[in-house]
Amino acid sequence: MEEEIAKSVSEISVDSSSAVSGKTISKNALKKELKNKQKEEERRRKEEEKAKQAAATASSQVKKSVAADDEDMDPTQYLENRIKYLAAQKEEGRNPYPHKFFVSLTIPEYIEKYGGLSNGEHQEDVTVSLAGRIMSKRSSSSKLFFYDLHGGGAKVQVMADASKADLDEAEFSKFHSSVKRGDIVGITGFPGKTKRGELSIFPKSFVVLSHCLHMMPRQKSGPGVDNANLKKTWTPGSTRNPEAYTLKDQETRYRQRYLDLMLNTEVQQIFKTRSKVILYIRRFLDNLDFSEVETPMMNMIPGGAAARPFVTHHNELNMTLYMRIAPELYLKQLVVGGLDRVYEIGKQFRNEGIDLTHNPEFTTCEFYMAFADYNDLMELTERLLSGMVKELTGGYKIKYHANGLDKDPIEIDFTPPFRRIDMIEELEKLANLNIPKDLSSDEANKYLKEACLKYEIKCAPPETTTRLLDKLVGHFLEETCVNPAFIINHPEIMSPLAKWHRSKPGLTERFELFVNKHELCNAYTELNDPVVQRQRFAEQLKDRQSGDDEAMALDETFCTALEYGLPPTGGWGLGIDRLTMLLTDSQNIKEVLLFPAMKPQDEPPAKGA
Amino acid sequence: MEALKACSVSLNPLKHLFHLGSSTTLIRRPYSSYALILCCRSSTTTSTAAGSNRNRNRRLSSTSASSTSDRDAVRAIRLKKVEELRSKGLEPYAYRWDRTHTANQLQDLYRNLGDGEELNSEEDHVTVAGRIVARRAFGKLAFFTLRDDSGIIQLYCEKERLESNQFEQLKTLVDIGDILGASGSIKRTEKGELSVYVNSFAILTKSLLPLPDKYHGLTDVDKRYRQRYVDMIANPEVADIFRKRAKVVSEMRKTVESIGFVEVETPVLQGAAGGAEARPFVTYHNSLGRDLYLRIATELHLKRMLVGGFEKVYEIGRIFRNEGLSTRHNPEFTTIEMYEAYSDYESMINMAEEIVTRCALAIHGKLTIDYQGVEICLERPWRRETMHNLVKEATGIDFNELGNDLKAAKEVTLRILGDLDNKDKSSIEACSSLGHLLNEVFEIIVEPKLLQPTFVLDYPVEISPLAKPHRRHAGLTERFELFICGRELANAFSELTDPVDQRVRLEEQVRQHNAKKTEVVLETDHADGKTKKNEDDSYEVTLDDDFLTALEYGMPPASGMGLGIDRLVMLLTNSASIRDVIAFPVLKIQQ
Repeated sequence: MEEEIAKSVSEISVDSSSAVSGKTISKNALKKELKNKQKEEERRRKEEEKAKQAAATASSQVKKSVAADDEDMDPTQYLENRIKYLAAQKEEGRNPYPHKFFVSLTIPEYIEKYGGLSNGEHQEDVTVSLAGRIMSKRSSSSKLFFYDLHGGGAKVQVMADASKADLDEAEFSKFHSSVKRGDIVGITGFPGKTKRGELSIFPKSFVVLSHCLHMMPRQKSGPGVDNANLKKTWTPGSTRNPEAYTLKDQETRYRQRYLDLMLNTEVQQIFKTRSKVILYIRRFLDNLDFSEVETPMMNMIPGGAAARPFVTHHNELNMTLYMRIAPELYLKQLVVGGLDRVYEIGKQFRNEGIDLTHNPEFTTCEFYMAFADYNDLMELTERLLSGMVKELTGGYKIKYHANGLDKDPIEIDFTPPFRRIDMIEELEKLANLNIPKDLSSDEANKYLKEACLKYEIKCAPPETTTRLLDKLVGHFLEETCVNPAFIINHPEIMSPLAKWHRSKPGLTERFELFVNKHELCNAYTELNDPVVQRQRFAEQLKDRQSGDDEAMALDETFCTALEYGLPPTGGWGLGIDRLTMLLTDSQNIKEVLLFPAMKPQDEPPAKGA
Repeated sequence: MEALKACSVSLNPLKHLFHLGSSTTLIRRPYSSYALILCCRSSTTTSTAAGSNRNRNRRLSSTSASSTSDRDAVRAIRLKKVEELRSKGLEPYAYRWDRTHTANQLQDLYRNLGDGEELNSEEDHVTVAGRIVARRAFGKLAFFTLRDDSGIIQLYCEKERLESNQFEQLKTLVDIGDILGASGSIKRTEKGELSVYVNSFAILTKSLLPLPDKYHGLTDVDKRYRQRYVDMIANPEVADIFRKRAKVVSEMRKTVESIGFVEVETPVLQGAAGGAEARPFVTYHNSLGRDLYLRIATELHLKRMLVGGFEKVYEIGRIFRNEGLSTRHNPEFTTIEMYEAYSDYESMINMAEEIVTRCALAIHGKLTIDYQGVEICLERPWRRETMHNLVKEATGIDFNELGNDLKAAKEVTLRILGDLDNKDKSSIEACSSLGHLLNEVFEIIVEPKLLQPTFVLDYPVEISPLAKPHRRHAGLTERFELFICGRELANAFSELTDPVDQRVRLEEQVRQHNAKKTEVVLETDHADGKTKKNEDDSYEVTLDDDFLTALEYGMPPASGMGLGIDRLVMLLTNSASIRDVIAFPVLKIQQ
């Protein structure tokens, strides 16, 4: 019988010529079950009582686990045994990796649908098919096995009772002792709740769909945590504690993300939140008639920002190419070309060190909106972010462990409008400075050097005016921006692509949004005067020559595009990773990247944890 | 509105006219035989003789005017206008503009306005903004064609109607190519042209360079790609392709999201480039001190997500292959890859039909479309046929009956196919297995003929290292490729989940690649002509051990598909080259 089911449900027989699709076959299997049903009805009722009792006791009693023997084993030995087991299966002409399993409900759907059953209620006339990964296995006898089946971010108990299965007792016991923690299984059975109120599925057939060949790191919460599938899940904007995770080791979590996702149920929610953040931005912009476009990731000149690029080489064209550091210059060319509202959500690449907030590739959203200026964009930013926080978290305030997991989380309030801080004005006030108006002068440079010295603010060489100002602003202004705040009106020398301020000489119409002291957005009224743009690039060149290799390079194609006329345009950039970090209480950017860049590892990845 | 305020200050154009005297020489070499679609330089002189402008240009021949000296001269003249505007206290690069309507909205809203009628009530007072693409000026009347994102609308400018001397400004300072904001009432001219009857206007951005006319924009292919914005200004239908591209991607996303797929982002920079067979780009990360490869597929990372418990994932993203350029190949291109747990390749057949038809409907509103003169019918269901049967049908060769003797099979094949060119012959000779041979015959004979949508099913295992063995036919896999217009559009399979089998197959792939590499290196020693081929295969292929480890933790049965978005956009926008659907394609270094 076991073989028959295995054969029919999963069509395993390698040389079998009987060819029916997976769907049909599972239907046939169901028909068969229906036929047998009458016969079994009586037996079932008898066994029911017994099973219920067992279920009630299983969780409280400590019984010898069948799996326990395996788990004492040396990991290499374990792997070898598993591979041998699979080889044996193939030898016997069975395919241990079926092609398909028909799933009638996802586990969350199952919980939704049958969560309301009363304690002890069984719906034996209902047939459902669930699939997922076995994350815990307990047995109370050779005729009764309990599993936790995980899938779709939820879990449900499986109560495999020999009396309800399409196998005789010996086969049942043999089969279930071969099922390992970590295996992916497909179950067809009926829904019900145990006496103690745990929603379960009672299998008639049980197929292993894929095998876990490694020893799965242990679940911390032992067996029998009742009603666990009803446990409140983590939601965006609330705090998390990765130190309490089943799999804590950071190296393993980041290098083998699939283990992290399997064992730490919250982690799936982190990445679903990330996906929702991006969806929200897309919908927001699409509703404003923006078009999503794609600009090249490999450039002849890495422009649009100041950063060290990755270099690569195209063989056939024998051409050096740089990975883009920003899409800005291309997107503005599209606005010149007549696409009035464009955006791009995509990867940028910077050949820089890796730390808590930096990964060599990261995701940004940039948009460009013709006929708008930075005031319009500040309003849009407020609407976008407050609206997003509201939709994802239910309110405007989020909790965030800004000072480490051992300290209380802070609250960040996204209620609009956000504070606006005029950069130079406010800096002069807070630091008691009187910065020379001509910021490109040597006098200004000297003045700022002294100011940094006075406040003991370190600036690594080269001490260009731009870099000195940046340090001072970081120290005096950014530090005050915990709730979202716009720092506005940056000096021209700091902003080579921003338009000069319409009323404040030497400054630009630019803003940066800071949240929790970190830059989240950067936007400006775009500089569209080609003559001034060329001058600004020339000034950047001066900084480059004085050793600042992060100054911007001149892009002739871009300047020519400006000569054809860029309409008045507001441009805006947002770091998706950083925004996701805030909404998921992540202090490390690696928490929100599925596969963060890691240092090379000489040894193969740790098998297990 | 700042700009508007700025520009409404009165201005004396006379002084300016004297500056322009020297530019009259330019007009003698216009660049269009089209009288009314004038280019910028005409406007530099129309100020003095606006009325005769029209006739003068009609007379002019079609000499090319895109030489550098002309451009420089135009730039110089226009830079003077910039100065002049500033000297009048007007900013030629405005900060913002409030528009009430796009051109298209107006065309729609006032569809029923009769010829010669004007609407002048409060709610018919509109503001628009866009680029001036044509102008005609007469004594006290001027017409401008303004194009914005949505379409075009005419500006009807009458001296009496315009505020404080703005008419003179309009004539002297506005050139074709400038971006203008205008406000006024609505009028349809006697000739039936819906117009904004302008009260006031502002130069929002002064353009410095002449726009190419339609004909030059179209003929200079290289410039079209290098300066895409010029192409888009000169040919609005080009900008439209990118709008359609956005629509296709958006529709695709909507389709898969509605079925419950979650979008994820997997890394572009990788320690080993796997998931396909292609030469990768290599780069170097300074602080990690190691080489990194640009991804050649998203497959292996997305499958890790299935192992991690995601049941439906997809990624729309850029893929990079260090290969030559062609009408079908750009070194970076965009795909959607999607993976669904517990299903098999049947499911992906449905998905492919669903995605392509929904996108086609979003763009065309119908399922019969034209591609380069061929009518393509996208009505479902599409033809499904095995590779074996297609080859048999086209050539008469039944690969099921060829036996296992590769050498004999090649002889039979070559004999039956008869006249092949040398390239095809040698690629048949080079086949290392029956599976490769079948595929080679398929590619040479069948592929170009698959114009109507066809799912080619059940590929040989030798050329499908990531696909699951067929549940019924030994030697085959559960894989399909979708062909439309003789081009591969999608590739999908029941995913191989057996880590032992997967390791064997990937190791075989590495072994074959290395063998080829050595062979080519040896050949190169004999013949210098092969250097290029040598380069093609000289890259390293490494085993992605992390991926194999992930499989050992157990991946659910699943199906997956990759679909080329650029090619789909080509199909749906009737574009012959991939360069027409990529805004900034990679080009050879300019001489």
